[in-house]
This record gives sequence, structure tokens and C-alpha cells, in this order.
Amino acid sequence: MRRFAILTLAALLVAGGFGAAQAQTPPIEGELALITPVSKFIHDAALKAFADYAKEKWNVTVKVSAIPAGTPVAYGRVVEWKGRPEVDIFWGGESALFEKLAEQKLLQKVEISREAWDSIPASIGTPKPIPLKDKDGHWVGTALEPYGLVYHPKKIQRLGIPEPKEWDDLLNPKLKGEVAQCAPTRSSSSNATYEVMLSMHGEDKGWDWLRKLAGNTGLFTARSRDVPTVVAKGEFTAGFAVPSYMAFEEKLAGFDLKFVAPRNAFVTPEPMAILAGARNPKAARAFVEFLLSERGQRVFMERGLFPITPKYKVQGPPGSPAELAVEFTGGVRSYFERDVSNVYDEAVAQKRSDALKQKFRTDIEATWKKP
Amino acid sequence: MSNRAAASAARSYAASNASRLLPALGVGVVWLFLLVFLVYPLLRILYDAFSDEAGRVTLANFAEFARDPYYLRSLGNSLVLGLGTVAATSVVGFAVAFLLVRYDFVGRNLFGYLTLIPIISPPLVGVLGFTFIMGRAGTVNVLLEDWFGLARPVNFVYGLHGVLLVETLHLFPMITLNVVDALAKIDPALEEAAESVGARGFTKLVRITLPLTTPGYVAGALLVFIWTFSDFATPLVLGVHDLLASQAYLNIVQFVDRRLFRMGLVISALMVALAVLFLVAARRYVAIKDYSSLSYSKVARRRLSPLGQAGAVAFLSCLMLLSFIPYLGVVLASVGKGWSLTPFPVRYTFAYFERVIVETPKYIVNSFLYSGLAVVLCIAIGVPIAWMLARTRLPGRDTLDGLNTLILAIPGTAIGIAYIRAFHFDLPLVGRALTSLWIILPLVLAIRRLPYTVRGSYSSLLLVHRSMEEAAASVGARGFRSFADVTLPLIWRGVLVGALFSFMTSLQEASAVLFLSLGGWETITVGIFSFYIAGSANEAAALGVILIIVAAISVAVINRVAGARMGGMFG
Repeated sequence: MRRFAILTLAALLVAGGFGAAQAQTPPIEGELALITPVSKFIHDAALKAFADYAKEKWNVTVKVSAIPAGTPVAYGRVVEWKGRPEVDIFWGGESALFEKLAEQKLLQKVEISREAWDSIPASIGTPKPIPLKDKDGHWVGTALEPYGLVYHPKKIQRLGIPEPKEWDDLLNPKLKGEVAQCAPTRSSSSNATYEVMLSMHGEDKGWDWLRKLAGNTGLFTARSRDVPTVVAKGEFTAGFAVPSYMAFEEKLAGFDLKFVAPRNAFVTPEPMAILAGARNPKAARAFVEFLLSERGQRVFMERGLFPITPKYKVQGPPGSPAELAVEFTGGVRSYFERDVSNVYDEAVAQKRSDALKQKFRTDIEATWKKP
Repeated sequence: MSNRAAASAARSYAASNASRLLPALGVGVVWLFLLVFLVYPLLRILYDAFSDEAGRVTLANFAEFARDPYYLRSLGNSLVLGLGTVAATSVVGFAVAFLLVRYDFVGRNLFGYLTLIPIISPPLVGVLGFTFIMGRAGTVNVLLEDWFGLARPVNFVYGLHGVLLVETLHLFPMITLNVVDALAKIDPALEEAAESVGARGFTKLVRITLPLTTPGYVAGALLVFIWTFSDFATPLVLGVHDLLASQAYLNIVQFVDRRLFRMGLVISALMVALAVLFLVAARRYVAIKDYSSLSYSKVARRRLSPLGQAGAVAFLSCLMLLSFIPYLGVVLASVGKGWSLTPFPVRYTFAYFERVIVETPKYIVNSFLYSGLAVVLCIAIGVPIAWMLARTRLPGRDTLDGLNTLILAIPGTAIGIAYIRAFHFDLPLVGRALTSLWIILPLVLAIRRLPYTVRGSYSSLLLVHRSMEEAAASVGARGFRSFADVTLPLIWRGVLVGALFSFMTSLQEASAVLFLSLGGWETITVGIFSFYIAGSANEAAALGVILIIVAAISVAVINRVAGARMGGMFG
């Protein structure tokens, strides 16, 4: 018995001598939790890839979990936690919300390696630049994701109209009752695209345009995720303001569905921030760094999103998910290789955000009749 | 000798003291449970509705509701939908009940069982399944377009009419069950008397038979109304947002806008108030019209003519076919890959089942764990309640009975929200809020499904004659002893039926748990919602199929044990 104890002790000492650095301070915590509007398709894959990476690199088993929640709800919960958050990371939604959280001191600085931080350009798009990271370091973009339109080719063919390429194509009288969209009061992608229309056409004409779209709308869904679902199934012909990856997820699930990002389609950087008071700050930082590495970016590129840095391009062997994604999104491999036109102005959008929602309630939701 | 006598007297005194103390303690526990987990949360949500963010009492919230045309339209639509569904289910439900009870035809027993099936349609997937078959790209429309060259799909489902259709096909058995129950209780002598004075056919039906079934029917109608009134999943899938239940749900789940959140609470409180109002009205109406006898009578069935039989079978078959649409849709969606614009899926896979059973068994495990615990609670609290109602003259019995019925009338959404508001404070000793402990789920399920256990136990207690317990008492078995040795063996069947019903409906519960569930606590129904929200209707359908199978087995067992008395469960 004693001999065994001594042997064990000796073994421990030897092991300790070799691996002192790791044994004394584990590089990251064994847990990581996030709250996110980014759907399961992406966040599950990202968390799983990170867990594998942590196991390989540090031999740490990280218990990963996510609370899925729409942007408004996720934001609301972070505020309600008042600095004692139940998760470590908030991921996705409008970057303006992240600035609001930073003002309330609910975020800590991201503090990743200089190299990773610098690999991300400050902004993309003209005439209005879309910020891709916070100048004060409170949030960082993770992937580029256009909010475009989707359509069902077979239904388009049956209606005898050309495949939609621009926003205005959704106003085709033959699409009466055939468009699905989510209320901007319930979805950040819809809200942003409504804002794009108002910026493109000016306030008055913008609302005229949106009312016409409502006239063609056959279904207001309760969540943005439902829009590509009902179009993929063929319940409706076209969908408005759909994040590219949600459409691609339907494509991978075996549906015949097409995606277009028309001119001025808003491109979100899917911001990520570490919450102040997070229980697992090291794991959170490691997660952010991992997502910005090539391996992390690949998780996105294989699922219909685009790299956040010019360093990488969506590509893979023929027939790979990455190539399928390129074909699906109209041949785009990187948003840094093309001109990105953007009219969405963060400051304007924030200022009229409440008015937009209110006007939607009174002008569209309250008067909308199913065509 | 005297010593021994004294000792035995002391013992029996202590025993009778204990036998008096124990029931008193039990009554106390029952009341405490109801006060803490039912009365307090409801008072809390009422207070929320009548106060502002700073906690000041105000009527401003209701004034805001009354000024908003969209909310008023929602209120109007909810009432129209509720009443419309009651009307539609009444016609169908009565017809089916009459056929089943009064006539004999081929396949009567089979139809009797099949009638129960629509009720177990799980939340959300039922309506999803319906859209898969009847939607704009559903099987029916695809066939119409492919075979008859229809240019545009027929809109069967999106809109208020779709909600009405789905709810009617789902809920008509509630009417049928209650009417079957009531019809079986009618003393044939009454109808014979009517016939002897010349009232036959339609006159007899309207003047004698229908009034006699009123109590059972009203109870069923009330349940149909409340169910439709508080269901938000069906309208959301069908794109109908201008209903009270949808507005409550949509306003509550976004919590950024505090004003909207408050309006969500106000709407929930309003729904509770309306539900209570309808309940009270219904009970008043029923109380003065209760003519039925307690016992079941032997009903003589009339054999239908061959033509009549064909008609009855055709009607019931069509109805069953319609009510089975959701199941067909769910089953196809759970195995069909990329199903779009073809009558049936062209590619099949078991991947969705694999994902929900093998990869994430937590949904199933949690469902059984929470529903199981809830049923234990239901029995622990519900059987004593039934006993108090049936066997004692304790003060507060009427209130107890009222509370028990009230539970049936309160929308699950409102209960879920009430719990969030009522139990979101750190408990002493534990240091965490009840809302952050998973035990809250079995608790809310137990409260929601308590009435079924109470009713099951109560109705069989009524059938056990008091004299049996008195006989037991005369040979020295009192209180608990007589309950355990005499009463329990006689009523276990009723308790079991009630408990199984509580269990099955707990598994199906989706409104309250949806608000209270946190990461890791997901039940099958929460899983259905989260898969649906994540865009994976197929996985949601696979979970739905599992839920349907479990519920169908429960119903079969209940049906075997309870027979025709199942209807009493809803009254």
C-alpha cells in the first residue's frame, strides 16, 4: 500500500516535472456558454469545432452550450443580467446594440492577439462604411453575412416571371400574395433591410415601397428563420431580408432554393463580444481567436458565410460545401474582392429605429390584408 | 389491570390525537400548495397588469389597451375565433356522440376509439403537419395543380379560417367525449315518458335529450373555447398575429421594449379574467340545469338501416380522414428529405429520428422525468383534495372545488408568465430563484394537470358507498387505515385514469413550460419549438411522432381502464 503510494507520488512528480506549465495553470476554463441569434446551424458547428480544437491544442475538454434567442431577446437578457451574466459571449445582431452594451459597461474588451485583431479591416462598403470591429475593442466581427432575398425557382417558372435579381423585382404584380417576410419588429435582418429601403428611396418613397411589398406579402412570419423555410417548401415563392446562411441551410437540407444579395443588401459582420463578469473569460478569448483563424473561418465558409478578413477566400475541392456555397451565393468568394455598396447608416438607423417599428405597426401591420 | 387499562387508554388517546393531527396537517399542506403555486402567481400577474414600471397602481395599461385599435381587433378576433370554434365543434361533436351512443353500425367500436385520437395531436407539429398536406404547397394543392392545371394554390390554411379549421378538427372530441358521457347518464325513463305523451323525433331531441346533456356539453364547450382562446402556436404558424394569445406571446418574448412587455402582461391578465368570467357564467348555467343522474344507464342502441349505416360510416370516415391529416403530414415530414412541391416526399431518411433520439436524448428523458414527478405531485395533492371534496364537510370546500376548475380555464401562457413574475427572486437558504431551478417545471405541470387527477379520484370516490368505510370503522379501522385498506383498493382505477391523463397532458404541455424552460431542461415539446424556430421542421416532426406514439399508448390504456367514463375527466 505504502509502496504504491510512493510510486504514485513519484509518477506524479515525474509527470509534473515534464508538464509543469500546463499542470499549474490550465490555459482555458473547461466551460463556455453563449447567447446568440445566430442559428443552431452555425453556432453548433462553431462551438463543436472549438471544443475539438481545445482538446487537440491544450487537452482541455470544454463543455460548450448556447442559449438561442432572437436579437432583441438576447440583448434584453444581457441587460437583465446586470453584469452577472449566465453566459460568456454575446454573438450576432446589430453592432449598434453592442455599442449600447459597452456604454452600460456590460462588455469587456476582446483583447485578442494583435495579429488577429489587425487582420480585420476597420470597415467595408461605400458610400456608408459598415464597421467590422469596435475602435474601442469591445466587439469584433466574425463573418460577413448579406441579408438578401430568396426564391423558389420552380414556383417562379410556374408564375412565368424572370428570376428576381433586384429588390424591385419583388414588387412584380404576379407575385401578389407570394412573398413572405418577417416583421421588422421581430427580426434584426428585416429591420436592417427596411432601413436600407428607407435610405435608398428616402423616407416617404421608402415607405411607399414597403407598403407595396406588404401588398405582395402573403405571410408575415413570427421569426426571420421561418422565411427561407416557407419558401424552400414552396408555400411562398419569394422571401425578403434573408441571411445568406439560413437560405444555404435549406439548400443543404435538400431543398431547391436560390439566394440573391441585390444592390445595397446589408452585410452584417456578426459581431461578437465577451460579457463583463463572464465566468470563463479565457475560454471566451480563445473562442474568438479560434473563430478568426483559418480553421474557424472555414466553419463559416462551408455554411454560406464569408470571411471577415481578406486573408481567406471561400474555396474548396469541387463538390465541397464551400464550392456549393460559392455557387449558391452567386459566385462570391470574398466580399473584399468586389465593390460593396451600402446605404445603411448606423447613426440614422439608431435614431429612427423606434419610429420605424412604430410606423410599421400603424401603417403596415394594422392595415395589412391578406391579398 | 388498571395500569394496563390506563396505558391502553393513553395509547388510544395518542393514536386518535395523531389521527386527528395528521389529516389536519395534510389539509394544511394541500392549501399551502394551492396558495403558493396557484393563487399567488395569479395575484402577481393581476398586480402587474394594474401597475406601472415603478410599481404604482394604475389603470393606464388598460386605457392603453382600449385605445389601441390593433389590440381591440385582436380581442374581437379572439372572441370570434373562440365562439366560432365552439359552434363548429358542437355540430361535429354532437353528431358523432349521437351516432356512437344511440346507434349501432359497422365499425362503431373502432370509430369510438379513433374519435379520441385527434385530441393527442401535439402542439405546433399538429398544425405543421396540417400545412404539409393542406398548405399552399401541400399535397392537396400540388395534386390540384398537377392534375387539374390549377394556376394558383387554394389558401386553405393561412388566416383566421385556417385556425378555425385546425382547432375544430383537433378539439371536436372534447365535445363528443362530454356528450357521450352525458348521454350515457340519461335515465331512459325520461325519454320514454316523453314518447308516451307524444314527443317523438325532433321534438323529443330538442325538448328532452339536448337539455339533459347540457351540463356535460357546457363543460366541453368551455374547454374548447379556452383552448382556442389561449393557443398561440397554431395562429403563429398560420401567420395570424391579431389574436390575444399571439399578442401576449409576441410581446412577452421580446423583452427589450418594456412597454410592450408590460402590455404582454396586461393581455395575459385580461385572458385570465375573461376565462374566469366564462367559467363562472358556464357554471351558473350548468348548476341550475343539472338533471342528470349519477349512474350510467344501459342504453338501447338502434340498429341502423343499411343505407343509414353507409351514411354514418361515410360521415365518420370523412371526419376521421380530415382529423388524421396532421398525423399524416407529421409522419411524412419526419422521414421526408427536401419535400417540396411533390404530393409526397421523394427522398426518405431516418436521420431526423436519429438526431432527436440518439444524439440528443435529453428531450425524451426530461419529458418523462418532469411529467413523472408532476404526476407524483398530482396524486399526493389531488387524491386528498378529492377526498376532502367527496367525504368531508371542511370549510372552504367550495373554494377548493372552484380553484380546481379554475385551473382548467387559465391559459397556460398566463400561468407560465405568472410564474416568471412570481418566482424570480432569490430564495432564502438556496440563494437562487425558483425560476433558475428545474424543479419549477414539474411544479407548474403538476398545478396545470392537477384537475384530471382530482376528477378521476373524485368520481370514483362518489361511486364507493360510505357504508363500506363505516363498516371498516366499526371494526376499528379509522381515518388513514380505512382509507388505505378499504377505499384505496376501490378507487385506484379512477386515480389511475386521472393520473394517466395528468401524465399524458403533461407530456403535451407546451405553453407554460416554454416560458420557464432554460438550457438543458428542454422537454419534447420545448424541443419541438426550438427545432422549429431553428428552421428544422423535420426534427420537430420526428419529436412530434414520438410524442404522438407515447400519447396514443396512454390513451389506449386509459380507454381500457376507464371505458366510457373518460368524458367525466374534462367536465
